[in-house]
Parts: sequence; C-alpha cells; structure tokens
Amino acid sequence: MKYAPAILVGRLVRFAARLRKPGGGSAVPGLIVNRIAPGYLKSTLSGFPQGLVVVSGSSGKSTTTKMLVAILRAHGEGVFTNPSTANISQGLTSALLEQADWRGRVPGDVAVLEMDEGHGALVMQGVDARIVTLTNVMVDQIDRFHDSEMVAGMLARIADRAHEAVVANADDAYLMRLAAALRPEVAVRRFGVSADVLAAAPRGLGHTETSPTRLDPADGVVVASVDGASTVLADGAASVPVGLPARGTHYAVDAAAAYATAKQVLGERFSSETAAAALSAIPAVFGRGERVTVRGQEVDFVLVQNPASYQLNVDSIAPGTEQVLFAIGSDVRDPSYFWPADASSLGRVSIVSGSKAAEAALMLAYDGVEIDRVEPDLGRALDDFLAAPAPASGIKTIVFSADSMRRTRAHLGLTGAE
Amino acid sequence: MTLTIASLLPSLQNTNGDAENAAVLAARARWAGLDARVVAVEQAADLPERVDAVVLGSGSDASLDVARERLLALVDELRRWGTEGVPILAVGTGWELLSWGIERADGSTVEGLGIVAGRGVPREHRIAGDLVVQVPRIGLLVGFENHARDYVGAEASPLGRVRAGTGNGRRSGQEGVRMGDVIGTHLHGPVLAKNPVLADAILRRMCERAGLEYAPGARTAEVDGYAETARQAQLRAAGVNAAV
Repeated sequence: MKYAPAILVGRLVRFAARLRKPGGGSAVPGLIVNRIAPGYLKSTLSGFPQGLVVVSGSSGKSTTTKMLVAILRAHGEGVFTNPSTANISQGLTSALLEQADWRGRVPGDVAVLEMDEGHGALVMQGVDARIVTLTNVMVDQIDRFHDSEMVAGMLARIADRAHEAVVANADDAYLMRLAAALRPEVAVRRFGVSADVLAAAPRGLGHTETSPTRLDPADGVVVASVDGASTVLADGAASVPVGLPARGTHYAVDAAAAYATAKQVLGERFSSETAAAALSAIPAVFGRGERVTVRGQEVDFVLVQNPASYQLNVDSIAPGTEQVLFAIGSDVRDPSYFWPADASSLGRVSIVSGSKAAEAALMLAYDGVEIDRVEPDLGRALDDFLAAPAPASGIKTIVFSADSMRRTRAHLGLTGAE
Repeated sequence: MTLTIASLLPSLQNTNGDAENAAVLAARARWAGLDARVVAVEQAADLPERVDAVVLGSGSDASLDVARERLLALVDELRRWGTEGVPILAVGTGWELLSWGIERADGSTVEGLGIVAGRGVPREHRIAGDLVVQVPRIGLLVGFENHARDYVGAEASPLGRVRAGTGNGRRSGQEGVRMGDVIGTHLHGPVLAKNPVLADAILRRMCERAGLEYAPGARTAEVDGYAETARQAQLRAAGVNAAV
C-alpha cells in the first residue's frame, strides 16, 4: 500500500506523456516516482520471489538478456524484463510502472535486467542481485569511459551486488580477475569458447585482453563449434545444438552466457532441450544480421556499435558483396577508435553516408576501400541505393551506426521489434 | 629503396587508433609511387635495420609502467633518431613517456625517457573534445583530445597555439611539443589522415633524408578531399573560423 500514491502519480504522468507523444515511451514517469518514492525501485527489484538477475558488460548484453528471458519463459517462469533502452534508473522505474498494479507490485517470478555498465553501479546501489552475468570488457564508447580499466571497475561494482553467483566470460581476462576477487560465498559460473572456435575467429574475440587458456566443458558452458547461424554448446558431457538469430561467433557466446545463467537460475528444473528450443526460436534482431525485403530489394542490415562489433560485422559480410551502403551518424562523435579495425575486406562501397560521411570515407579510403560516392544526406543515399538494380553477386548490405539505423528505419517506414 | 615506418608498441599504444598514423604515412608514400612498409616494433628484436619515421600512439594509464619498460629497451635508438632528424610522432601517453616523466593524480610518478622537454601533470577533470591548433608553416591542425593530464615544460617549444580545446592546459594556450623532427601531441586518432599538410611535411622530411622525391599522387588528392570535408565540419563544430 505504501507506494500506491506514488504509483498513481506515475500513472497520471505517463498518461500525460502519452497524450503529448502518442505511442511513445517516456522516462519522465520513472523520474517522478523515483523522486517522490525513492525506495520504490529498490524494494520492487528486491521483491521478486526467484530474485533479480542482472546482465551487464561492454557488448552483447541486449542479446544475452533476450536469450535468457526466452529460456526462462520456456521453462514456465514469469519474467519481468526491461526494454534495452530503459536501463538507467528512471527508465527502469518507468518500465516497472508499465507492469505494476495500483499498489506498485509487478507480477513475475524473476526479474532479468540488462544494465548499462556506466549507470549500473549507481542503479544497483542498495539493490541485491541473486545473479550477475558479465559478457565482456571491450574498449567501448571512449568518450564516456576512456579505457578498459574503468569499464572493468564499474563491472566489479555491479558484480559485488550478487549474493548467489556471478556468471562470467572465461575468455575475458579482465572478468576472470574480477571473478577471482569476489567474496568466497559467491559462486562463479563460466562460459567461453573452445580452442577451435577461437582459432577460427579471424581476429580473436574482441576482448581487451583474452584469457590465455580455454574453458573445459567440465567447468562451464563452452561454445564447441559455430557454423553460420548455428552452434553446438558443450555442457559437461552433453552436446547441445542451438540455432542463432544471426551468423557470428559473438551470438554463440551470447547464447552460452544465457544458457549458463538460466542453468544457475533454474537449478534442477533446467532442461537443456527446453533451453535449446527457446534459443533456436529467437527471431533475428533488426540491424544485427537480419535480412529484410524493402522496396522490392533484399537487404542485409549491419549495426556497428563499437570497434569490436565493427570488426566482427565487417568480417561477417561476404567478400565480393557488390553493393554496400555505409552510414555513420552523429552518435559517433569521434571515430578515432574505429581506425584500428580493418575494413579492407569490403573492397568497394557504393555510398558512404550519414552526418559523419566524410570521416567514414576517410577511414575506409585508408583501409584501401574504393568509394563510389559520398552522400551525407542519408535519405537520398537510401533512395538511390535501393533504386539501383539488384547486385549480380551478394545482397545489398547497409552498415550503419545506431543513429543512422534509427534514421534509416524512419525513412524506410520500418517498424517492429527493436 | 623502401621507406620503413616503425610503429612502436602498437599492441599497447593504439587505444584511439593513433598507431594507424604509421599506416597513413605508408599509404600516402605508396600513392606517391614510393615503396613503403610499416614495421610493428614491440621489442628491440623487432627493430628494422633502417627507420625512416617513428609513430608511437597513446595507451591506457594502466599500461604506463609496462610501456615504459619496453620503451627503455629502445631508448638509445630513440635518442639517435631524435638527433639524426628521423621524424617521430608521439601521441598522448606515448608522448608523455618520451618526456621527463608523468605525475599521477595520487602523487606517484612515472619516469620518462627524457627525449623531449616537459612532463605530464594531473588536471582536475578529464578533457575530451575537439582540439584545433594553429601551427607555424603548417596551418590548422584539427582533431580530438582526451586526456586527464596537462603538459608543462614545453612553453619554449610548443607544436602550436590552441584555437579551440585545451591542449597542454594550465592556461598556456599552447598545444604539444616540437623539438626538431620530434612531435608530441594530444591530438589522438588518425591525426595525419585528418591533417594531410602535416603528413606531407613528415613525408618530405623522410624523403629528403632518404634521397627520394615526394610528390603526392592522384589518389592522395581524392582522399584529402574527404579529409577537407571532415576538417571543415569539425572546425564549424569547434567554432573556429579557418579564414582568420
């Protein structure tokens, strides 16, 4: 009953926000509830009977969270989760309000939250998690964090909130050091890739520092092999074939992270068959290797978020792909940190676009990539790119930063699952 | 003959892509019809016989000590290159390691190699943003800075005057250090791609020493067109009127 007045206010604010921006979500109701009922977020997050699971790390946390939620729901668990855009405290409270009854109670057995590594430590103050899952430490968003040590420090503070277990990527040397420093009563569960999978990744896994040794399937969940958009997870003596939402070793690692976490959450109720079926049923994510038909053309969308995903995604574009549109927007303020990646395999790019088109063209040119045209106006670039006849080889491929992705979706009228 | 650009400690000192400046020099040399290669030097054993230019990028603060250890093994070569007029471009923490030393915020220090004058000293807040520098005989250098230290002791031989951003800080209005052909700067990332005039000044110096002619190629002009558009956009964002 204690939070009923605050919830009422939050609801009214949400109603008002919706009048202003129909269909839109807003962080404002959460901001206000956090102000008038500062304990609400903490007590609600701590109130789920099966506890709170937090997923954080530099990259892959969105996909891992989705996969984990799918596995838990397939086991019949009621799961509260946050949309990936709502992972700082007011957004989180707003997301809770969406589900809350009039007293502020949120239905569900377990909460699974994706947590921004920058804000997570703050949001998690005073909140105990049952399990914290950490994906990796990569050099990400340098303007914000500057370096990997800072990211590792923030993840350590999030991991400190776990009272039952930390599930961590065994291939990430930073995370293994972090796990070694946890309180002894907190269990460490691991996931990782096999030596074969690492050897097959042309430039490694993208971790700031890769662990010197590989995980044994007796000690955790191992990505034993990856073949296109399918993988085999080795879990002890069992081999579990799993379909992935898109091609790429990083999706297989995300699946292993979700699998290992679900196993910890569910204990004896965990079924590897149910987990595999749930993972395999996850649809492709927009901008992450999804193939879409737009204006009568088949198009692959590739989202670039940080240097590591840039390299992985560029590597995953089939060599000889004839038509590539490459768009970098204002979200990439300083593209310097993309320069160590090598995009020479693209060979030729039809159009470079976005508000940072010139910066992107400069980078591609020094990678030895031929550029047919630089067109900063993304709308015009998209129109012309899609109007050109289908390529003789490969699929039309659009590589974009998050900002250019949003503009692309708006311009092409694409909606659907984020 | 082949122009050899040594990229020092690229595994540690390439956080912002500064080590890629070595590749930028090599690409521009090739576009000019010259042979050029980049040699990654992680330890003394990797050193090529002849070095025509040196690039040392910026790393993280956690790797300062290990980077210093590894550079110490190259200190004789660094001194020789510096006195012989081999162009050296050092960025961020790489530059600081070539200085007298680095003072950390906690009071501890990292001794530098003493190749260039001055030292890194802590500043109150990290600075991250556009940096525009007026450099004599070169023009405007445009790029980004991201550092938690100021630089003092370069007042007599700065690289240039700050037009936008912070640079060496401590209200000096100056950025970088330049001693002969050794340049230290906070301008991180692909500063030579973004500032072709500086790249070509370095290339001319390399070619002069090697007895070669440097004339930029056709591809260079095309690529420098992208650089010019990017420079103009950043100058506008930084509020610098390039005509003044």
